[in-house]
Amino acid sequence: MCDTCGCGSDSTTFRKHGEDHHHHGDGHSHNHDHHDHGHSHDHKHTQDRTITIEQDILGENNLLAQRNRGYFEAKNVFAINLVSSPGSGKTTLLEKTLATLKEEIPSAVIEGDQQTMNDADRIAKTGVPVLQINTGNGCHLDAEMIHTAYGELKLQDNSALFIENVGNLVCPALFDLGEDKRVVVISVTEGDDKPLKYPTMFDAADICIINKIDLLPYVQFDVEKCKEYALQVNHHLEFFEVSATTGEGMETWYNWLKEHAKV
Amino acid sequence: MHEMSIAMSIISIACKEAEKDGASSISNIELDVGKLSGVMIDSLNFCYESVCKGTLAENSTLSINEVPARASCKKCNHTFEIDSFMALCPQCESYEIDILQGRELKLKAVSVN
Repeated sequence: MCDTCGCGSDSTTFRKHGEDHHHHGDGHSHNHDHHDHGHSHDHKHTQDRTITIEQDILGENNLLAQRNRGYFEAKNVFAINLVSSPGSGKTTLLEKTLATLKEEIPSAVIEGDQQTMNDADRIAKTGVPVLQINTGNGCHLDAEMIHTAYGELKLQDNSALFIENVGNLVCPALFDLGEDKRVVVISVTEGDDKPLKYPTMFDAADICIINKIDLLPYVQFDVEKCKEYALQVNHHLEFFEVSATTGEGMETWYNWLKEHAKV
Repeated sequence: MHEMSIAMSIISIACKEAEKDGASSISNIELDVGKLSGVMIDSLNFCYESVCKGTLAENSTLSINEVPARASCKKCNHTFEIDSFMALCPQCESYEIDILQGRELKLKAVSVN
């Protein structure tokens, strides 16, 4: 829709100095008052012009993410995007989850890191197909990388896809990958005020896993306070308190996965 | 620094549109950036300068309109301006708010010649 007048056309509109604006493809043009530039100018300089664009800057990524989402839906693949700061235990959580559920839920994994095959090597030991994306200097995965990765992984129908994003609590928040659920992992060795410090990530998540709860006796981490902070940012969040290492609390997480991955 | 990817997307969209219009260069790019968009304007400006080199947008300026954030309270339906995701409803003090505006990240217009 044209933002200048509200007439219905989704195509890009063009507006030149001293001219009517017109829409491509909708076969009409009409006048508007001159737009406000906040500066004076000479109308004889007709080659200086402003092109109205009105496009989402992340539009290309969002479009590709929707394409991924459609593909996952058609194949009944339940896709999860795991995000967190480095060292929260995402890979251990995945190793344990896959080792326990791989017979019940056929799975595949996409690993994202700047460098190394280390995480993919760990996941491969569970016998689950895995692909490593090394982003080089990149700080997040994007929808196009996921598209390329699942093409190579050849996903099974009726399965789950776990995407472990680059360890970074800032950048991945802005990039939709086409996942069904975004899961933010926080470990108790971090501060319980992380949701307040990195609200964009908690705002963009559906699930919050609090990991390493076996270490609670040794650290100053108030689980209830952390949950309260996270809910202040995003009151839709659902929580799991687990220790991927000892297995404590993991049963609830497995049950949630079995319920949502309808395989 | 995701601002680099964002700056690259901006230049890619702007150059595509400018080429379509037969423009020889871009003098200014106008953006709407919401207060809760997750983008740091200083970083974006920094990345923009390096990304536009060697493109139609070389030496162009970036005009950023900061879009204020607004929310509505799920409990009492009050709508109000907010500074962060952790805002309280000023009327009933509930944290259950829906963000209405402030996540924008939009390329508004490109000035060319």
